[in-house]
Formats: sequence, C-alpha cells, structure tokens
Amino acid sequence: MNSLLYDTYTIFWRELKRYRKSRSGVLIRLIQPSIWIIVIGNTFSGTQPLIQSVGFEGQYIEFMAPGVIILTAIFTSIFGGVNTLWDRRYGFMNKALTSPISRSSIALGKMSAISLISALQASLILGIALAIGVNFPNPLMIAPIMAIVILFSLGFSGISVIVAATAKSQETFWGVINFLGMPLFMLSPALFPLELLPDWLATIAKFNPVTYTVLLVREMMTGVTEGGISALLSIGIILAFVLVMIGLASYVFTREVNKPF
Amino acid sequence: MYSVETRSLSKSFGTVNAVNDVSFTVKAGEIFGFLGPNGAGKSTTIMILTTLLKPTSGHALVSGYDVMTHPKQVRQSIGYVQQESTVDEYLTGRENLLLQARLNHIPKDQINKKIDDILELIELSDKQNDPVITYSGGMRKRLDIAGGLLHQPKVLFLDEPTVGLDIQTRRKIWEYIKKIHKEFQMTIFLTTHYMEEADQLCDRIGIIDNGKIQVIDTPENMKNAMGNEIISLTFENENSEDFLSQLSQIDLVKKINKDNDKFTLFVSSGTEVIPKIFQISVALGIKITSISLTRPTLDDVFISYTGREIRDDDTGFNRKREHAKMKRLRA
Repeated sequence: MNSLLYDTYTIFWRELKRYRKSRSGVLIRLIQPSIWIIVIGNTFSGTQPLIQSVGFEGQYIEFMAPGVIILTAIFTSIFGGVNTLWDRRYGFMNKALTSPISRSSIALGKMSAISLISALQASLILGIALAIGVNFPNPLMIAPIMAIVILFSLGFSGISVIVAATAKSQETFWGVINFLGMPLFMLSPALFPLELLPDWLATIAKFNPVTYTVLLVREMMTGVTEGGISALLSIGIILAFVLVMIGLASYVFTREVNKPF
Repeated sequence: MYSVETRSLSKSFGTVNAVNDVSFTVKAGEIFGFLGPNGAGKSTTIMILTTLLKPTSGHALVSGYDVMTHPKQVRQSIGYVQQESTVDEYLTGRENLLLQARLNHIPKDQINKKIDDILELIELSDKQNDPVITYSGGMRKRLDIAGGLLHQPKVLFLDEPTVGLDIQTRRKIWEYIKKIHKEFQMTIFLTTHYMEEADQLCDRIGIIDNGKIQVIDTPENMKNAMGNEIISLTFENENSEDFLSQLSQIDLVKKINKDNDKFTLFVSSGTEVIPKIFQISVALGIKITSISLTRPTLDDVFISYTGREIRDDDTGFNRKREHAKMKRLRA
C-alpha cells in the first residue's frame, strides 16, 4: 500500500512537472470556458424568469457559472489522459512498465495529476466569473468547492485514461472523447434546471454524475437546493462514481498496457 | 547461475513466429551482443526478457527469476535503455534521473548521492540543471544510459545504444559502456546492427534470424571460424616455381592460387606469414611489387549466417524475395 502511494506520487510528480513547463497551454484552455460564461451567460440573461420559476433568485449568469466551472473540469480532465498515447509511443511507458512500480500506480498517478490540474483551471474560471460580477455570498465555500471539483475530476480523468489506454491512435481517442464529453455536459442541469428538461431527458440526466456535481456546486455557491436532491446524496453519488472509476481505470489500464502497442 | 537464460522460448503473433524455440544463456558479468537483421526477433526477445511481452511458450529467466511467474523481481533486477530516447525533454537532466530513481525505488537517502555519482561518470554534471530539450543526441543517450544503471541493476539491457549517432559520439558511448561495465560489473545484454560495435564491446555474440538463434560464440572465434585470411601478392620475376614451392612449405599456408605474376595465399595467420614471405623472396632475389592482407570481419560472419545477398545467384534471388515477404509480415 505504501509503495502504491509512493509510486502514484512519482507519476503524479512527473505529470505536474510536465504541466508546469507548458504554461501557454493553461491560458489557451481558459479561452473556451471564458467564452461560454461571457457569451452564453449574457445571451441567455433573458431566461431569468424561467430560472426563477423553479425557485432560483438571481441572474442567469449566476445560475450557469457553476455549470461552466464543471464544464472546465469535464474537459480538462477528459482530455488529460491523451499523453498516455504519447508515453506509449515514445517509450516512457515502457520505461515505467519495466520498473518495479505497479501498473495501477501509473494510472492513478496520471489521474490525480489531471484532477489537480483540472481544479486549477476551474479555479481560474471561478475567478473570471467573480471578476465579471457573479455574486458569491460565502467565499469560505471555495475550499470545499475545489475539493468537490478535484474529486469529480478524478472520476472523469479515469474515463480519459481508460479511453487512452484502449485506443491505439490519437484519432480514436479524440473521436471517443468528443463523443462522450459534450453529451455528458448537455445532459445535466449545467445550463438549465432539470425541471425544464423534457421528462425523458431529465431521467437520463439523473444517471449522469455531472448532474449531481453541478447541483452540489451550485448549492455551495448560491445556497439554493434544486429538485429536492440533497447535498449528502450528491456527495454520495460523486464518491461512488469516483471509486468505480478508480477501480475500472486501474483494471483496464493494467490489462491494456500488457498488450503490445 | 546465469544472468539470462531462455529455454525453448517462442512468441508468435498470429501465424508469424517472431521468436521460434530459442535457447541461450548469458553468464553473470558478461557483455552479450544480440545481433540480427531487422525483424529477426531481437526486439521481441528483449521485450520478453524485460517483461513487456509474455512468451507464447518456453521459459525465460532473468537474474534467476522467471519472467512469467516473477515479473516484479525481474523488474527489480534489470535496467532497460530503449532504442529511442525516453528522457523527458521538458525536465532537466537531474529531474529525469530523479524520476528514474523513484521509479526504481532507490531509498530516499541514497538518491542524491547516486545521481551525483552517475552524472560525474557520464560527464553531465555541469549540464544537470538544463532542460533536456537543450541537449544534443549524444548527451540524451548518455542520460538515457545513466537512467538505466542508476539503481545498479544486475542486468542492463541496451537496445541499439548508438543508433543514429555520429561516429565520434558512438565511440564515446562505447567508452562509457566499457567504463560502466568495469565500474559496476553488471551483465550487459546489448542489441545492435553495427558489427564494429559488437566486435568492440561484446564478450560473446548471438546471431538471430527468422526467430532462431543461428550461432553463439566469441567474436574472435566467429571470425576464425570463417576460415582463412587472404594474402594477395604480385611480383616481378618469371621464374616463380621455386618461390611457389618454398611458400607452400610454410606451415600456416593452406592453399595457394597462382595466376601469372600474382599469388593468392589462403593462410591461418596472415601477420605471421607476411615476414616469412619476405624472407623467402629476399633469399630468391624476387622483387615483390605489392602485398595485401584481407581478414574476415564480423560483417562477413553476419552475412554468412543471415545474408541472402551472398551465396549462389540462383537461390539468392528467391531468398531475397522470401526475406522481403517476411519483412512485410513482420511489419
């Protein structure tokens, strides 16, 4: 167990070192969520009555800002595993695989690095949201919000690592990731309340871990509980999702890297 | 105990037998060269020995541990330096070695000392805090090799250590390999395409082709087994009968072909025969106008075991076609 933690930290350290050296990427990755929050947030400001009809007092942009924070987390973490493919092509993976560290620790190290990076990106978006005037009554909630984002991203980075380990090419990876990312975001109350979705879509959304994360983060930011889903339930579902993804990613990664690339 | 031992090792991909019933042993402390044309089965063998691939059948033991049943112990015993550079370009030289040290579970209190020592050995101490992206190809390779031996493995696998490097750098890398071998006394399992490299470095050589071991021996024995060295000489004298008869009485001369004023001597030790030739020619008053000695190289050995280019012309073409077909299959 100790050595699993140490090995996971080794890979985590390496991933963060690499991230630190690619600073330009940090800003580029902020552009898209910034556009979301500024353009969509203002374009749909007229939908305030709809939001209010389900009990949310306040601007539309305040409603959707938590959604965009989660959007940032989704995409940062679901794209994050792509370097697994480079590692396999350029020999780092073989180097790690012929060293005594366990296969799972490679997957877990990558996932934990991705989730921390994801939280960093999300916190920058939170900063932008506050800067353009989103009301955030309780700044002390920042720490627990980031904890939730880290947890959620850990689960989502598992998806990325699984796809990257299974895919043999960049094309396959990006195809699958794009197929997964946007629908998971759209099928959640990130932009509109669940109550306004058609029943069948709302039902699908209830199976989506993004839904619970958005509801939880929005509750933490605005203090409004939606759809009768308690914070405790959301935390439970997120935890379960993360545990399943950790197990699944370790298993799939270990199985896939033992096959010739 | 052998450092590396394979028993009837086989690996097939579909219908292609990449490695076919291969058995060999490498002694502890030996530098063993593994040679073969592209697609001969070298990489597959090395991947099995480093636990990256599972064999289809047979056994492979590294440092006494079976790669199938004790992969973790095998990984603890080996260092693996891959053909392509695997150092992280964005990290500094030192950070790369730190990563390698952690991957190989070097105790924390020893890491810094070991990194300092190895940086000194490969003469990169002054560049250790520069990002690797600023390193030349030779420096990267040195760093790669340093990473492979930082934890002082019992067996070091070097896959084509000098491919793509210029001849000066290549020689420098050979020096480093000799130096580390002297210093750490580990077994080195090396693959290469360069016969000169194998000749320079290896105690013994195994040549593999079509997934099978063709021969294993010392470079010296292999070259000797190729048979004769050839001395060609020309001279100015019409009466060559005495010269010929006296030359053929030299012990080391096996056969002489005569062609007017040119003799071709097949000898077993050319350097010893040449002075004797001159003694005889001086005594007979024969003026030698040119003399040359040709020795078999490891290239000749390699070609004789693997090459389709030589041998009879009529079969050569078919062999070449067969070879091309196999290459496509392996690709």
